Amino acid sequence: MSKFEKLQPWIGLLSRLTLGGVLFVAGYLKVDKLEVSQMAVRSYELLPIPIANFLGQTLPFFEVVVGLLLILGAATRAVAALGGFTMFIFIIAIAQAWARGLNIDCGCFGGGGTVDPGQTRYLQEILRDAGLVALALFLVRYPITKFSIDKTPKQSNAGDTE
Amino acid sequence: MAQTKKSNGGKDNFTRNLVVAVVVGVALIMLVPTVLSKQGDSTAAIPATASVNDGYGLVFNSELTDVPFIEIYEDFQCPACARFEAISGPYIEELIATKKAKVAFHMLSFLGGESQIAANAAACSADQGKFLEFHKTLYANQPAENTGAWTSQYFATLGIGLGISSSDYDKCVTGQDYMGWVKNVAEEGSKRNINSTPTVLINGKEIDRNTAYGSLADFMLAVEKA
Repeated sequence: MSKFEKLQPWIGLLSRLTLGGVLFVAGYLKVDKLEVSQMAVRSYELLPIPIANFLGQTLPFFEVVVGLLLILGAATRAVAALGGFTMFIFIIAIAQAWARGLNIDCGCFGGGGTVDPGQTRYLQEILRDAGLVALALFLVRYPITKFSIDKTPKQSNAGDTE
Repeated sequence: MAQTKKSNGGKDNFTRNLVVAVVVGVALIMLVPTVLSKQGDSTAAIPATASVNDGYGLVFNSELTDVPFIEIYEDFQCPACARFEAISGPYIEELIATKKAKVAFHMLSFLGGESQIAANAAACSADQGKFLEFHKTLYANQPAENTGAWTSQYFATLGIGLGISSSDYDKCVTGQDYMGWVKNVAEEGSKRNINSTPTVLINGKEIDRNTAYGSLADFMLAVEKA
């Protein structure tokens, strides 16, 4: 057993807790402030207003669910893929806001909406989300992690079992 | 997953599936009523000066047509709104008093419960013809967000301070008669793509975010040009 094989489940655990923790906290901070969340989504000026408002209501719940499942390690590969995909979409949304010269807060952890010019933090937001995408990709490649409630398959078919 | 049962590797996937189902289920149970409750309620009581066609805003000089139409979207708890009120509030009151503008106040409540209580009380004060005084006094004494300072009792007392003697005001404040209206205002604001407070529109166009919010001269210029 190589060193990586021994370490991998622990790196996986750390990835799960980080990605899951961020998603859970991000969602949790928003579930009781849905009007602000709707405002945050609208301010990206990417979606028609009714759709943006609906997404603003649903996204916090979605983040809580994905975050919680990752922390617990339930269906790790599928949920990590979902979480990583979400982060990827966030990166696109933030990047387009940046490119179009909008002045908004990403609203990732509550807040959001229009901010004063010069108050934007697009680069930090994109780098953080890119890091989280990397963690998600690691989990998709190596979904077997420590302290997960997923069924642990035999080592031999570790690669192709969820 | 087909070989779940006879796997020798470890736990059964039943636990995992159960957990997934429970977590998703609970989230859906919480989400669906929230989405439905955001639909707005056209039967809710609205203050006499509120206009459904103007997004449930409290409208002054609604009869004027050939003057600039100023729409203000704000939240009583928002510090930037207090700043805007301090800078341009007296001028806006003067425009209303001298009939030089039609003005609609949209009291949003995205900062939370105390914003809703305040918006409800503001609507009650509007029925007593004291909205502008209420508005000014509240911003001048704005506490930190959601610290528990703004209760129905607080607003009942504030009414006395503003010289409101009618018991209707007290009933309206404590009974939260206009809570439905408060939600309608918020819903309408979200439909109108209001993404920040304060947001001020003159004849439907937002004033310059770089200048007109923080400077009376620039705001006056924007009104003059309209």
